[in-house]
Order: sequence, then C-alpha cells, then structure tokens
Amino acid sequence: MSILSLILFYLLYPSFFITVIFPGAIFALILLLLMIWFERKAAAFVQMRYGPLYASKRLGGALQLIADAIKYAISEIIIPNGVNPTLYALAPMLLITFAFIPIAVIPVSRIPISGSILSKYFLAFYDPDIKSGLYVGYFVPFNLLLALGLASSYSVFVLLTAWVTNNRFALIGAVREAFLSVSYDVLIVMSALALALEYHTLDIAKIVQSGIPGFIANPIAGVVFFIGVIMGTSRFPFEIVEADTEVVMGPYTEYTGLLYVITMGASYIGTYSFALLYSDLFLGGWAPFSGLPGAVWMTFKAVLVLAFSVFLRSVYGRYRIDQAIRGSWKYVLPAALASIILGLVVGWLWIR
Amino acid sequence: MSSRPSEITISAEGMEVEIIPVEGEINVGPQHPGSGHMRIYVKVNGDIIEDVDMDVGYVHRAVEKLSEIRTYMQIIPLVERPAILDSINMNLGYIMAVEKIMGVEVPERAQYLRSFAAEVNRIASHLYGTGILAIFLGHSTGYMWGFGDREVWVEILQALTGARLTNSYIIPGGVRRDLTPTIKEMTLKAIAYQRKRMAEWRRIFLNNPNIRDRLENVGVMSKENAIKWGAAGPNLRGSGVNYDVRKAEPYAAYDKLDFEVQVYKEGDGYARTLVRFGEIEQSLNMLEQIIKEIPEGPILADRFFKMIPPARVKKWWDGMRRVVFPGYFASFRPPKGEAITRVEASRGELVYYVVSDGSATPYRLRMITPSYRSIYVFKQLCKGSRYPDLVSIYGSLDYFPPEADR
Repeated sequence: MSILSLILFYLLYPSFFITVIFPGAIFALILLLLMIWFERKAAAFVQMRYGPLYASKRLGGALQLIADAIKYAISEIIIPNGVNPTLYALAPMLLITFAFIPIAVIPVSRIPISGSILSKYFLAFYDPDIKSGLYVGYFVPFNLLLALGLASSYSVFVLLTAWVTNNRFALIGAVREAFLSVSYDVLIVMSALALALEYHTLDIAKIVQSGIPGFIANPIAGVVFFIGVIMGTSRFPFEIVEADTEVVMGPYTEYTGLLYVITMGASYIGTYSFALLYSDLFLGGWAPFSGLPGAVWMTFKAVLVLAFSVFLRSVYGRYRIDQAIRGSWKYVLPAALASIILGLVVGWLWIR
Repeated sequence: MSSRPSEITISAEGMEVEIIPVEGEINVGPQHPGSGHMRIYVKVNGDIIEDVDMDVGYVHRAVEKLSEIRTYMQIIPLVERPAILDSINMNLGYIMAVEKIMGVEVPERAQYLRSFAAEVNRIASHLYGTGILAIFLGHSTGYMWGFGDREVWVEILQALTGARLTNSYIIPGGVRRDLTPTIKEMTLKAIAYQRKRMAEWRRIFLNNPNIRDRLENVGVMSKENAIKWGAAGPNLRGSGVNYDVRKAEPYAAYDKLDFEVQVYKEGDGYARTLVRFGEIEQSLNMLEQIIKEIPEGPILADRFFKMIPPARVKKWWDGMRRVVFPGYFASFRPPKGEAITRVEASRGELVYYVVSDGSATPYRLRMITPSYRSIYVFKQLCKGSRYPDLVSIYGSLDYFPPEADR
C-alpha cells in the first residue's frame, strides 16, 4: 500500500471524513455562511431590496458573510462583571458542540461491497440490518434513538448559556427555552417513534433502505417532525427564545464577539443536523445512490430542508410563547398521536 | 438587576442556589430593541404584566419653551421636529392657529394643496407605523415593505415641497409651492402602485395567521375606556368611536372631499391596524379627488402675495410656480389674541394653542400631540397582558416617543 493510498484511506475513513470534512465540521461551516447569505438574500428578494451586495458584487455579496465573520471574530469579547469567566466562555462552545454531535451518528450513505472508493470500509462499518456497509461516523444499531437523544441535549446548554450570564433577559429566554423544549422534544420523539414503528426498526439506515421515503409512508409525522425542528432550533415563526424585540437576544444577550457568533451559529448547526436526520427519515436519504454520491445526494436534500426553514423568516412573524406551547400541545400533539397510529397501521399492512 | 428584595437563597453544603422569584421587574429600554426612545419599567408576575411605568422624556426638545423665543416663521421647522414623519400635519395645525390670530383668508387652491400634502403624509406615516409594528412582531417583511412603500410617498413630498421629511411646506396664508403636472402624474402612478400593494399587504401581513394571532384580542380597549383614557385618532376609532377631526371640524379642503371615517368596534390591536389600512385607502381616494377637483388660482393669500416684489414674482411664481417669502415674514407681529386649532394628524387629534401678545414671538405655544395621549393608554392596556404583548400593544398604538416628548 503506497503512502498516497494510505493517506486516502485515513482521509476517507468514515469517522473522520463525515465528522470533520463532509457533511461535518468544514462543510457545515461553509454551509453556515452560505445559509446566512441565502437567508439574507431570500428575505431581501421578498422585501424588495438587494441584501448583501457590495462586498463582492459578482458573487452577489456572498463574501459579506466572510467579512462579517472576520469582524465578529476579532471584535472584543466583553465578559460581564460577576460571571464565572470559564463557564461563560465554555457554555457557547458546549452549545455548538452538542448542536453538532448528532451528525456523527446519522448515517450519510451506504457502502456497497465493491465498486466504490469506500468499499474498503465495508466490513468495519457493516450494518446487519441492511446487510451492507454504512457510511456513518459511529455506527450503532439504534442510531435513531442516539441521534435524537444527543440532539435533545442541546436545550440543556441553552439554559447553561443563559444561567452563566446572569442577565434578566437571558433568564426569561432560558425559561422560554425550557418550556419550549418540553413541547418540541415530545413532537420530535413521537414522530420519530411513528416511523420506528412503521419500519419496525430503530436503525435509520433500514428506514432509508426500505426504499419508501418516510414522507410518503407517513406525511403526518413528516409535518410534525418539521414543526418540532423549527421550534427546537428557534426558526421563524417560533423564534421565541431569542425574540429580539422582547428579550433582546434571549439566552445570548450578554455574549459579544466570537462567542456571540458561536451561539448564533449553534442554532443554524442545530437546524442542519436535524435537517440531515430529516433527509434520512422522511426524504429517502441517499437512496437510490450509494457511496459518496449518496452522501452528496442526502446532504443536498438536507440543505433544501435547511434553506426552507430559514426562508420562513420572510413569511412569518413570531408567535407568543403561550401560543406556541398551546399550539404544540393542543393541535400538533394529537397530530403526532395520529402519526403513530398511521405508522402502526401502515407498518402492519404495507411495510414489512 | 441590583436589588432583589424577595429573593430566596438556598444553601446546602457549600452550594448556593439562587431562586429568582416569578415576580420581578424588567427594564425595557432605553437601550432595547423593543423600547424606542424611552424606558418602560415593567413589573411582571410570571409572563403577565402587573404594571408598567413609562419613563418618557428621553427625546424631550423643549419645543414649547423654545417657541417663546423664536419668531413665528422660525417656529415652523421647530414644531415639525417632534414628528418628522408627520411634519405636514404638525406644520398645518400651527399655521392654522397663527392664521386664526391674524385673520388671514387662505385661497381655495392652497386649501386643497394642504389636504393633498397632509394625505400623502398620512399614507407615509401609516406605512411607517405598520412597518414598526411588523418588526416588533418579528415580521421583517412587513417592516421592509412599510419603509419601502413609504419611500414612494416621501418622493412625492420631496417633489412637491423640496424636502423629504421636514417639509415646512405650509406658511401663513397658503403654501410654498404649486402642484405641477409632473407631480400629478407621479401621484396617480403612486396611487395605482399603492392600490396594487394593498392586496399584497393583506396577503402577507393582515391575513397572515401568525400576525392575526399576535394582534387579535391583544390590548383590547373598550369604547368607554378609549374615551376615559383619552385615546386619539386611529386608536380611538379602532375602539368604535366615530370621531375624526376632519369630519367633526373640517379644515383645509376636507369639507369638500368625500371620505369615510374608518371605525372598528373590536378595540384590539388588529382593529387599530385595520383602521390604519382603511385610512390609507381613504387617503388614496382623497388624493384622486384632489387631483381631479383642485381649482386654479393663487396659492398664497392676496395680502401676502402683494408684498412680494414684482421682479421676484415674475421669476419664481410665473416661472416656477413657487412663492418666495415676502420680507414681512421675517418678523411679523400678529395682533394680540389667542387661538386653538385641531387637526387630525396621522396618529390622531393634534391640538395647538397659541397666545400672541403682539410681539414677534408667541407668548405661549402649547401642543397636545396624539402620542402624548397614547402614553396613558399604553400604560393601561399593558396591565394584565402578557410580556410579549408589550411590543404588540406598543406597535399597534403607533406610539412615537419624540412626538410625545416634544
């Protein structure tokens, strides 16, 4: 084995490639900038303006976001009096980490036994459920459960961020997040449970490999899951936790400079990791491709979901916290229950 | 943040846990995205507002005191400053009071032009208010649309008066510039554009379920309360009181114009927003009527027009349809007397009380602005509502701090 193929072996090794390069950290960072650019451009299109333009006219102002990122990165970080500096700096990092971690366990593609550049990892990432290799950062047979569990820990760190900054607006934001997290976690878990019952598995790969996208098999669950995601990651119309005219910036009120960018990025990354999950569960994931093209196809669908959820900003305002909670328990929860029943019926009659 | 009297501290084995009571105070402003130029001291119990203290006065400009040392013409730009986006109406009320003291007859064409400018200004101001309401509710499209559509009307004001915001268009005895065919054409185009946009506004803002949820049954003001608390303008009409100064005590050309007073009886934030939208549509109708019916003639009272030197009349009035100030305006002394006038500004009834002691400056100028009257309404409406509704009520009242502080 030559040195070149050795490098290639370690570079494409799923645990490294997925988490660090694609669709993980590096891609997520580029996507984060592109998504904020898209959000601003799409909103500008609706709102009869240009949006970012002058930083690079030929690229439609895409470099504006890089300029913004540099500006934020080198601006001063002001640590308020009376806070614990260590926790103050640590909280946003934990936040973005836990927004990101689910990507490690979400299957990105299938590894065919031969013919792909990834085929050499076939045995190391063998998934007995689909009788094929699985291109995933860390393989566990119950990866649906693990991904949801990791994703739901995100709100704990929102609370931590608010708590360490000792600000009244932050505390209100934290309380709102605490109320909301109960509501949206239930929705997300129930709609995922509906799919698990429907496909008789807790392995995301098996859901994808069944060949029937979850949205066709169970559209109610698809809608409920999406509502849960935009609620959970503070997208409009549920941008309640960081409602700027009400609670300034919610839990992130006291953050400045780079730490603020991290908190802001965390919510996008959170949406992105949910979007990857959504792409797998409801939009057919990598099927019918496999190997790297499958990963690109699956990520592309996730990016569409992410783009749609950030586009909602130009259509909706924000709901009140009590309206959001009432809506989620009164209207969406029955829908989630219906999706479970639908999942049971369809799983019993159609999907084996 | 500094004092928390009812705070409980639990300490166990060196670990201290602070429990913040559900009752507390929040300082909204003066540096807060949802406060405007004031501090709102909110006492909350959980999510419910128990009481609100308005700490106003951050943009106080002492307009009333300053006008005691300014000549009558210098006061025109001064009274506009409190509400620059409603400057025609601010200007109009003051000039009407001065004219009452002096006993000036205003020519017909100038009356129509005053109504024209006032209605253009009303549309612009209502769009501004809607934009602010939209961003308070997090609806950025409404915000941008409000400011974008307002631009069209500000451009017309610019073409007519020469200034975008502080127009100083109305002078004792008439107006400064005439309506030219170009401006007529611009206005007709703008009317067509705005009519088309109103349908789009309804689709994305008024009929948006999210916006309706935020405004309906929020800040409900009954008819009795609206009268008792002294609400003015669209806020009053949103509570079912049919009162509009333009109908009750017509000034300018409003007695000759055909329009309906917008009244909604619900009294909530949504009704107030609907009143504003209805008024924009009425203003569009009125502008059409004015363009159609405006009579020919002078735009300045004869008594002042004769004072302008003939050479200047030839150059400015015959050539450009503008009037230049006669030297008399530099420091005229109206006779002793006092006058009170009311106009329907964009945010409601605007009252001017001017006392002249025969000198070149008024003895006293009192202005009661509609936003000033909204302060108490705002305070009362917030009681018992939810904390997120603070901004919803604020926006739906179209409360404008500089106008209230004067």
